[in-house]
Amino acid sequence: MKTVMITGATSGIGFEAARAIAAQGMRVIGVGRSAERCEKAKTMLLDAMPDASVEYVCGDLSNQREVNAVSDTVIGMLDDEGLWALVSNAGGVRNWYTTTADGYETQFALNYLAGFLLAHRLWPYLKKANGRVILTGSNSHKMMRMHWKDVMYKRCYSCLMAYKQSKLAGMLFAAELNRRQYQVKAYVVDPGLVDTEIGAKETGGIVKMFWKLRSKGGVKPEVSAQTYAYLCSRQPAPDGLYFHGCRPVATSKRVDDPEDAKRLFKLSEQLCGIKFGGDEL
Amino acid sequence: MMVLITGACGGLGRAMASECARRGFELFLTDISFEGLDSIRQGLERQFGAVVYTHVCDITDAGQTAAMFERIKGMEKKPGMLLNIAGIDHEGGFMTQPGERIADIVRLNVEATLRMTHTALDIRNKTEKFYIVNVSSLASLYPIPLKATYAASKRFLLDFSIALGQELKYENVRVMALCPGGLPTTREALHGIAAQGIWGSLTTNGLGLVAQRTISRVMAGRRVYIPGVVNRTLSILGVFAPPAMVARLLYKRWRQAQRQWLTDSL
Repeated sequence: MKTVMITGATSGIGFEAARAIAAQGMRVIGVGRSAERCEKAKTMLLDAMPDASVEYVCGDLSNQREVNAVSDTVIGMLDDEGLWALVSNAGGVRNWYTTTADGYETQFALNYLAGFLLAHRLWPYLKKANGRVILTGSNSHKMMRMHWKDVMYKRCYSCLMAYKQSKLAGMLFAAELNRRQYQVKAYVVDPGLVDTEIGAKETGGIVKMFWKLRSKGGVKPEVSAQTYAYLCSRQPAPDGLYFHGCRPVATSKRVDDPEDAKRLFKLSEQLCGIKFGGDEL
Repeated sequence: MMVLITGACGGLGRAMASECARRGFELFLTDISFEGLDSIRQGLERQFGAVVYTHVCDITDAGQTAAMFERIKGMEKKPGMLLNIAGIDHEGGFMTQPGERIADIVRLNVEATLRMTHTALDIRNKTEKFYIVNVSSLASLYPIPLKATYAASKRFLLDFSIALGQELKYENVRVMALCPGGLPTTREALHGIAAQGIWGSLTTNGLGLVAQRTISRVMAGRRVYIPGVVNRTLSILGVFAPPAMVARLLYKRWRQAQRQWLTDSL
């Protein structure tokens, strides 16, 4: 049985992706921050699909210590087939500059760096399965470039810019993985505008109001979830990097910049204290 | 220069620590959380290649604090700056909480800060400048019902800082009180800011900028730093308006905000 790990799987897009992937007969290991919500999500999925294989692991992925702990737990749950797919979907919005326990800007750490570190920790198991890394992206990665002068946006924080950059970073990471031609394929899903709570959870004020209005016009998360299920199940592995509605779509030109991708890869290794795919530094 | 920071794992502590690391200062971080200290130390080393020492210490405990300073005394470099950031507030009215819990606010915010300041000044290198930042609050500028003890403890730090700064002015010591409005540090704080609605957004300051300016200003010899135009304007209210009237106004505001806040976080 193929195992798929999905982060941010207790609500929104991640939850619906978990449902769609479990419905295809794959084993799902979901990750969520709150133990209570993990339990609730698991019950909901198993009530709807009693034969499905669904488990949850609890951890706050903005904190690298917990990313490592979650990885250890998940590795312990894997069988000989390894890990078929890592769906790095957890993300959030902060309308103020905030830092994680490691002192990194929260959106950068949670939306991007956590996925990088997870992919590294699970790399041997992904390789074993000839698996896939699937990141949740966004069209907001367009019209954006890496803010190299101050990647953490410490001095001129803008909620939207930090969000856009975190999504661009994910694209650059996936593109770099594919450029390196590992057996593991990397994809980014553009879920489109989806009616979830992402912009209303830890924000408030104008950002929250704006998001509440805007998200109403979005599609239901189960629509976007189909693309995740497609990328997990399609054989042979589809060509392309960036998918919307189960079809490859165009990315920003910035994503093709190998210099930026390499620079980001190196910075990410440094910020995680690792050598990607290799031993810890 | 080495900077000694208390409460280094909290939101403001982390922001200050990373600002100091960005400036190339060495750091001596203390907090009660071993894991927290370990995370921020690692993060600062990776992000800035900083030199970071950590020491787990409950600074409300005189014995533990003394032991920490013994270690500092044995170090080659002595701290040239002390950032007294550790502080607490317990939300809720005075009589809705046990007396000891209320007294804890004063033990940490006032007593421990005094102990840290006195010991750090005592062992300082007297030939060099020494900087102290005490984290007071916008709350120090008025009496605040429902936050009575917290606001008074912060008032203590404000007055104490200004007075001590004068007292030690000619001994190479600079003391500054930082009086921020809301700081978006933790999830709870973010909920708190949201619960206060428009007032929350207006009085809240960006953490990165506050950290940067705090260090610049204390090194420039400023006595008080109130971040944000709205906050500075509000502070004038504290000077001219009668305290009882301000208290009446703030009671209305806090009763509402706190009710929403406490229900939100449930």
